[in-house]
Amino acid sequence: MSTKQVLIFVEQEDGCARPVAFELLGAGRMLANKLGAELAAFVACDSVGELPETLVAHGADRVYVAEHPELATYRTLPYRRVLIDLIAAMDTPPHIVLFGSTTTGRDLAPRIAAYFETGLTADCTELDIGPYEHTNAQDPSKVGLYPDCLYAIRPSFGESLKARILGPWKNPQMATVRSGVMVPLAPDATRTGVVQSVPVHLESADLQLVVAETLRSLGEQVELQGAEVIVSGGYGLGNPEGFALMYQLAACFENSAVGSSRKAVDAGWIAHAHQVGQTGKTVRPKLYIACGISGAIQHRVGMDKSATIVAINKDSNAPIFKFAHHGIVGDLHQVIPELIRQLKLQKTSTPDTSHVATHSL
Amino acid sequence: MNIFVLIKQVPDQGAKAGINPDGTIDRARAKRMLNPFDRYALEAALFVRRLYGGTVTAISMGPPPAVEVLYEAIAHGVDQAILLSDRRLAASDTLATAYALYCTVRYAGAFDLVFCGLQTTDGDTAQVGPQLAERLQVPQITYCEKFEIAQGAIVARRVIEGGAQTVRCPLPAVVTVANSAPRLAYKTLRGARRVQQLQRDEAERSRVIRTVNLDDIGADPVRCGLKGSPTIVAATEKVGEIGGNCTLYQGKPLQQLVDDLLAAQVIAPELVKQ
Ligand SMILES: Cc1cc2nc3c(=O)[nH]c(=O)nc-3n(C[C@H](O)[C@H](O)[C@H](O)COP(=O)(O)OP(=O)(O)OC[C@H]3O[C@@H](n4cnc5c(N)ncnc54)[C@H](O)[C@@H]3O)c2cc1C
Repeated sequence: MSTKQVLIFVEQEDGCARPVAFELLGAGRMLANKLGAELAAFVACDSVGELPETLVAHGADRVYVAEHPELATYRTLPYRRVLIDLIAAMDTPPHIVLFGSTTTGRDLAPRIAAYFETGLTADCTELDIGPYEHTNAQDPSKVGLYPDCLYAIRPSFGESLKARILGPWKNPQMATVRSGVMVPLAPDATRTGVVQSVPVHLESADLQLVVAETLRSLGEQVELQGAEVIVSGGYGLGNPEGFALMYQLAACFENSAVGSSRKAVDAGWIAHAHQVGQTGKTVRPKLYIACGISGAIQHRVGMDKSATIVAINKDSNAPIFKFAHHGIVGDLHQVIPELIRQLKLQKTSTPDTSHVATHSL
Repeated sequence: MNIFVLIKQVPDQGAKAGINPDGTIDRARAKRMLNPFDRYALEAALFVRRLYGGTVTAISMGPPPAVEVLYEAIAHGVDQAILLSDRRLAASDTLATAYALYCTVRYAGAFDLVFCGLQTTDGDTAQVGPQLAERLQVPQITYCEKFEIAQGAIVARRVIEGGAQTVRCPLPAVVTVANSAPRLAYKTLRGARRVQQLQRDEAERSRVIRTVNLDDIGADPVRCGLKGSPTIVAATEKVGEIGGNCTLYQGKPLQQLVDDLLAAQVIAPELVKQ
């Protein structure tokens, strides 16, 4: 049997998939449909519980399960071993393998790619399938037409460019995908799929590294991804105290959070957990207010899907005004206090119409 | 301790020189700098030597001017350096780069620890460290922000989503260092003197900074450069010029600007806290 396959790596913790796994299933489903391929998911864990059914409901046709006590917590070498064994045992390798661009995916994917000597594109923000004709005769062995090539698209460094990276010469074609970018499918409990247990053979060399402790400090978790309004501050805030103003503005909204650009994080003004962008989080709130942020491509890829973008910047030529929907040109230290004042005024003076509407129903 | 640290020279994106009007980089004219992420790796390597003794060797791959970052490493206190420079390395992707660096490490000899920056500011993949570890067949610790060494093992704290993890791993190992790790200290006076001395004394310079090519390190040229790279950049697409639909509020008294913005119903009333 040599069914074409798209394989995704499922990150799990205590038997629950992390959100990026569902996003990969969403992206993988689209690719599998275009390829006429099967969408498979790979889970390694100590006890899988009902996770396979959940993965099938979210789009998987097949779930490979590696169960072993040593696989309870993610570790590079044991996970590497089972995934390599799985792929090596297939008649034909998967056409595509996808990982989340998380600390786990970025740890594991390069090792798998190096083992199979295949290409790996990092941190993709878009994926597609399409034809590619290679004509560059510098390497004649690669010349040819490749009909089902993975288009791995990612922002390219410091330049306002997106690069399309291809590697159709060898399967699997691999990519890590930014979390928060791909859209998961709504679960469908009527979907059916095959759950297949895979053998686990670990060697003592795989178990050299031990995890002594894992701490998720929930206090530090910044709920950027669930917020409807994000007030984001950049280097234009001028100093760490500028973020106090960001919190004051955020406090005017119902479900809000404070974000930042990388330059503000690098300056030590706010924790990395707040960073939006290529090396931070991808967000799509209803309203994104960018204050003193120039709008570099690496920031933009993290927030340009926001429904409404309002920018406050004193430079009318700032790149952010090229893609924001509304922009106030002015000093944020004056604009924001005024904005806060008027928002407060607005809520006290306007009658609460939503309230009235509910009552008249 | 035999400690290697991998460092790279990258274009300085902060400098306006070498940035074309369309935002792309003119690599020939661009100012160059030590990859900022590698500064943390350098600090980690020097920290190990400070506490546990040994030798630190900095390794870089790039065209001849990349030797500048090796001088910089020496000014910070690194003992010796290797530059892998070969035209056949042009257009290497991460897989080919990791292979070439693997051959360089193998050439440099036995090691206890190899430190890498988490990623580079030009490639930005974070892949070379783990790919190198795979080829060296050793364990890796990625996103390391703090560590100590005891009884032949490294005990490290690594960053994970929303938290941290403590791991213990026997040496040898490859470690990629997060940018939440300790910052690189200032250059030392001794280091600066050493660089001056190397610039005067050619024999000493070629002893301390070895420049090698693919043949010297026994690398297979077919696995390097364009030929050895399974991926290529097939197309680039400009993303700078979308929109132009931004409504700008300017040139009026402040109060009026904000008033206009709110009057335009930009901020949906239901989002505002009642
Ligand atoms: C590999 C890589 C990954 C990166 N990842 C990210 C990422 O994830 N997220 C990210 O944000 N960046 C990222 N960056 C950095 C990015 O390229 C920019 O450097 C960064 O976004 C700039 O931050 P900024 O807009 O806050 O600062 P600046 O570019 O310095 O802009 C400050 C802005 O504030 C305005 N300003 C100044 N004072 C005032 C005032 N008083 N009132 C109003 N406006 C004012 C200025 O006009 C200017 O437009 C990355 C870079 C690289 C190379």
